[in-house]
Amino acid sequence: MAAASRRNAIVAVAVAVLLAAAAATMSGYPVYLLSLAMINVIAAVGLNLLTGNSGQISLCHSSFMALGAYGSTLLTVRFGVPFWAAIPLGAVFAALLGALLGAPASRLRGIYLALATLGFLQIVQIVIEEFANVTGGVRGLTVPKPTIAGVRVSEYARFLIVLVACALAVWTARNLLASRVGREFDAVRLSPHAAQALGVSVHRVRLAAFALSAAYAGVAGGLQAVVVGFIDPVEFGVSASLRQITFIVVGGMGSVAGSVIGAAVLSALPEVLRPVKEYSDLIYTSILLGFLIFLPNGLVTLWHRATKRFTRGDPAPAPQGSAP
Amino acid sequence: MTATLFLQLAIAGVSVGAIYALVALAIVLPFKASGVLNFGQGEIVTLGAYAALILTQLALPYPVVLVSILLLGAVGGIAIERVLIRPIVKAPEFTLVIATFAIGLLIKGAISIRFGDSPNTIDGPFGAEPIVAAGLRFNPTALWICACTALVTVLVIAFFRYTRLGKAMRAVSVSAEAATLMGIRVERVYRWSWAMSTAIGALAGLLVAPLIGVNPEIGQLILRGLLGAVIGGFTSVPGAIVGGVSVGLIETYSGVFVGTTFKNLVPFVLLMVLLVFRPQGLFGAAEIKRV
Repeated sequence: MAAASRRNAIVAVAVAVLLAAAAATMSGYPVYLLSLAMINVIAAVGLNLLTGNSGQISLCHSSFMALGAYGSTLLTVRFGVPFWAAIPLGAVFAALLGALLGAPASRLRGIYLALATLGFLQIVQIVIEEFANVTGGVRGLTVPKPTIAGVRVSEYARFLIVLVACALAVWTARNLLASRVGREFDAVRLSPHAAQALGVSVHRVRLAAFALSAAYAGVAGGLQAVVVGFIDPVEFGVSASLRQITFIVVGGMGSVAGSVIGAAVLSALPEVLRPVKEYSDLIYTSILLGFLIFLPNGLVTLWHRATKRFTRGDPAPAPQGSAP
Repeated sequence: MTATLFLQLAIAGVSVGAIYALVALAIVLPFKASGVLNFGQGEIVTLGAYAALILTQLALPYPVVLVSILLLGAVGGIAIERVLIRPIVKAPEFTLVIATFAIGLLIKGAISIRFGDSPNTIDGPFGAEPIVAAGLRFNPTALWICACTALVTVLVIAFFRYTRLGKAMRAVSVSAEAATLMGIRVERVYRWSWAMSTAIGALAGLLVAPLIGVNPEIGQLILRGLLGAVIGGFTSVPGAIVGGVSVGLIETYSGVFVGTTFKNLVPFVLLMVLLVFRPQGLFGAAEIKRV
């Protein structure tokens, strides 16, 4: 196990260094796309913790991204907080609301939980639209360019910041899942009754999962606001949530590697689909449906099947696809 | 608040609530039979509205349009059940929720591509002149909607009580295994519950089109329909009707008392409160699980 994780760590660091080097040579647009892809990875990792590991379905993940985006941007615009402090604060704000939603939602299962998250998403959307004097309403909110101590941050530096954030997100998630918290998540997903009988507070674990996933989404939202330079509330609706769910279904629920694969692969898709842009939503949903029916445990299972021949029985991945 | 205004609002509330009631009914039927909550139901309504648009543009008389929509809806439901739901009906709940959502988005996307986002309108069957009676103004289209909803409700309740297929559906909703042992063909029951559900959804689309126009966003209705289903209880047919009408009334009255800013929030806050404190709604059966 130690050998495998050390090997994975080396691979991850190598990939990160390669990305950083490659981005230095690339022009602005591909770097921008890579940044967006990594932001999607952060969001997907957060969602996977909630849905894949603790087994709670959530249709409002994009709302937490919105809360992080608006939170950090408003801190910068209204109170002059620099972005490197505003984004974490925005994530805290998102996490608090995640806990607020999680308190009642963690007692719900299945369709009732889906409905509750859907209701929360609608509430957040309505609040964004109605309090336009604060949020800019449907016209959106312009995000000031990021500065450190008054010096404008270059595009490349922004990319590096996103890269570091993404690496941190993946690293913390992996550590979390390997720790007792991760095991509690799995226990609560697989058999809440057995977990409770063993002394795990199911309610608290589920609530923590909500807050944690909201924090990741908040970071992703804050970063996205800074990278794009503009917050468009349309980006945070049901379609966005479903897109993030597609990332984790395609990649593999319950596994951090799955989140990375799914988000990375599907983030490249809009570019590939440029010539048929109107069909991109259709293609996304078709991919989602296809995977749900034929490969519900995601691409990660293909990878594991392929590499099983080269390793000597690494521990099996966390069981996926059985979110109750 | 004068009595006239109160009554006028009540009429408006019941009329819009009748549509929500139909959507709620369309959601409850397959849930009762097969345990699948169709999050794509809103898009079925949109399809019904667009079908009405096409058929009306072909200058077909209204009764023909009505019957065609019901038939098309039923056929569509059977197709969806066969192609998309059957493979995943045994899957974990997560898959079912997301899949029905995705199907809805797929339909909406296809409609947007085919017809664009520009709104279209069709006329109601009885014109737009309000009927004045007892000092109150009645919109004839709204009256027609209420009449249709009442008729559908009666028919569905009669169906469940007096027909063999209806009793089979009730049996399957209690226990699919036991129903199979009793010789009931469960797949047939599923298929027909979906057919009924989509037919009713399409009908709702036809009925609501003269009021709010024909555009891809009609599917948002599902949120009100879902709230109606939660209020009524997901397993109760009269509950769905009562729930839908209640949502209509709540929406209309809160518009007056709470102002437009918060008016849109009220249904969703109510939804959250209900889900936490009484998810089985007014008439539903509380879920008791054995550990």
